[in-house]
Amino acid sequence: MPDFARAQLRRQRFNFALFLGPALVLLAVFFVAPVVIDLVLAFTDMGRTLAVGKLTLENFERMVTRDTRLLGALGITFIFVVTTLGVFNVTFALLLALVTTAVPQRLGAFFRAVWLLPRMSPSVVYALLWLWVVDPNERGLLNQIVVHVFDMPPIDLRNNHPLLVIILANGFIGASLGMLIFTSAIRSIPEHLFHAARVDGAGSLAIVRHVTLPALRWPISYMTIHQSLSLLVSFEYILLITAGGPFYDTTVFSLYAYRRAFESGEYAYGAALSLILVVIGVVAALALWRLMDMQRLLQPPRIEVH
Amino acid sequence: MMNGKIALSAMVAGVLFCTTFTSAAAEEVVIKVWARADRSGPLRAGNLVTAGDTLNKFLTAAGTDKRVKIELNETNAKGYDDDALDLLKAFAVDKGPDIFVLAHEWTGAFAEAGYALNLEDHINKNPELYGDIIGPLWQSVSYKGARYAVPQDSEVRMYFLNNDKLRKLGKTDKEIAALPAKVDAGEFTAYDLCDLAGQAVQKGVVKYGILHRPNAGPDFQMLTESFGLVPYDKEAAKLQASKTALKDFFTWVKYCVDKKALSATNTSMSWDAIEQASFAKEEALAFFHGVWRVTDQTKAWNLKGKDDYQRKITWINAPAGKKGGKPSNLSHPIAYAVSAKSKNKDLAAYIVALASQPIPNMRHSVTTNHTPINYGEQSMPEVVDKGWALVAATPMLKYAGFMPNHPKIGQYNAVIFKGIQGVETGRLTAQAAADFVVDELGNELGKDVVIKN
Repeated sequence: MPDFARAQLRRQRFNFALFLGPALVLLAVFFVAPVVIDLVLAFTDMGRTLAVGKLTLENFERMVTRDTRLLGALGITFIFVVTTLGVFNVTFALLLALVTTAVPQRLGAFFRAVWLLPRMSPSVVYALLWLWVVDPNERGLLNQIVVHVFDMPPIDLRNNHPLLVIILANGFIGASLGMLIFTSAIRSIPEHLFHAARVDGAGSLAIVRHVTLPALRWPISYMTIHQSLSLLVSFEYILLITAGGPFYDTTVFSLYAYRRAFESGEYAYGAALSLILVVIGVVAALALWRLMDMQRLLQPPRIEVH
Repeated sequence: MMNGKIALSAMVAGVLFCTTFTSAAAEEVVIKVWARADRSGPLRAGNLVTAGDTLNKFLTAAGTDKRVKIELNETNAKGYDDDALDLLKAFAVDKGPDIFVLAHEWTGAFAEAGYALNLEDHINKNPELYGDIIGPLWQSVSYKGARYAVPQDSEVRMYFLNNDKLRKLGKTDKEIAALPAKVDAGEFTAYDLCDLAGQAVQKGVVKYGILHRPNAGPDFQMLTESFGLVPYDKEAAKLQASKTALKDFFTWVKYCVDKKALSATNTSMSWDAIEQASFAKEEALAFFHGVWRVTDQTKAWNLKGKDDYQRKITWINAPAGKKGGKPSNLSHPIAYAVSAKSKNKDLAAYIVALASQPIPNMRHSVTTNHTPINYGEQSMPEVVDKGWALVAATPMLKYAGFMPNHPKIGQYNAVIFKGIQGVETGRLTAQAAADFVVDELGNELGKDVVIKN
């Protein structure tokens, strides 16, 4: 091999390591390694002392034969993900994007900033605010309104409608990401399309329906897939606001795995449950990918428009 | 100027030399202590630190350069069960302490895992240091016939009834005073208690009938015991549960919920909120916990001594499940254990011995109202003077049992608690709760539990 070719190869390798290396390391440490560890743990008997005694299928056997709470947790997860996604992370986010791009720019930016505030505050602070909002006593924010404005007895949302509370809490914070993505997508629609539509006599709603929404097809598809996966595995607000309760009412599958692992010290069983979650995540992602025809998004454009 | 600099350098060099020399000569033995930060017993860890100081005085007097340094790690777990799980993890990754404070029923788990040192030999060789410890308390820290910890305190649990609220309900002082004896005689049952508490809520005298702890813990064992649930089969050395007893117990819980004696929000309240409601705000007719709460109550209502206290509060055991039955109580000692992995096992054990002596233990007892571990403490002037509550509560121990020392009793308790939470929050009927507990015990504990009819 000539010297220059060797040098080029070396440089290519160096560049590969320099540019892709950090990302690969992150991917290996935070994505691949946990899945591998989880996979191994799921087939052990690791308990409170973290000692591994044997390799076993017991965890899976238990899941199928003895665990009576498993199906309930799956059901709750389904309701939680579909409702939060359908009502807030996509629909409400879209509404926010449409409204904040329709009003004068500064006002729009101000409202978007307001909606982003919870994202910027630490999760615990956000959860504490929610705990105050739904506090069953008269001092809770919601009850101050219920009692003083509507003259009704205080209500206890956290006990009587816990699923609603966690959907609202996750939805209000989750809508902001979709809002940003949709806003930038709306912004990238060529201005002249709106003018042309106006000239053709389209009203605001018709413009949204025939100009804006078709341009948002891919961002909406992407957000749906991304947020379903994210909602499937995240439980920090649920843990902080209801701790999965009352009883098991808000214990979504990921929190269920967490509770089994860390409340009871059954780490191997928690790992086995997480493994099921990984499988559900992969299946859901593939199904949505197919359903939304995401393949087309990645195809090279047939004509280049300048 | 130059001379000044030289003098300064010489001085710095001198100081450095001295420091190096001293630290090289004095040997410091670090003893790590793991204790849960607990407002109801700061001296559990504090007495170990003091024991270190005492030992250092001996060492100074003996002219040796060795010194003991107690390194205290006070954790912030919600309860002793959570703390034990954290500690097991710490041991698993070799970050365990030399001495740890644990709830007695975890002794078995730590002994089984090989983390708690068998102290039998140490205790037998040192009768001068351990001879005064109240005999039956050793039972609470024994596992498979050997002692793996030293009891640190003991206590009595009870319902605290607010007399002012009882008076508002129309009870006379005479009736109130007769109540504890009626409970002990089996005339006043658990159902009667819920009738009374429910009545208080329905008449608007209080907001809550009975308030109990918001998380899993030992308290509930004395309630289930009143309904005949025996959690441990000594001969088989296995945990056990009876379907009938569970059904009876949860039927009672459901009855109390229907009567509004138990609140749906109890298990989602914070400890602080429960304490506020039970003490300062006086929103509850009964508060269910242990004798050490006398300290908080005395402070909240500024009570002066025994008579003042007894005008305000009445103690009762957990009443029997049905008329003529036996009431129940629970003593739940906290204990010191020495790590079997420690490099300084003997030293750590002697520090535990020093911390368990009558004087330091008495300080913990009288400041936090926990019953003492040594016979001798009972006659100490401080205990007689300030510990009236302990003396007054001692007769209740007649009905007391301990939690079994099975390694998985923590999980067993947590399942019972979830059942109670399910009924209280209206998620489960009595039968469903009993079924839930049976399912979950089988699910979590597998072969460690035997389910009986």
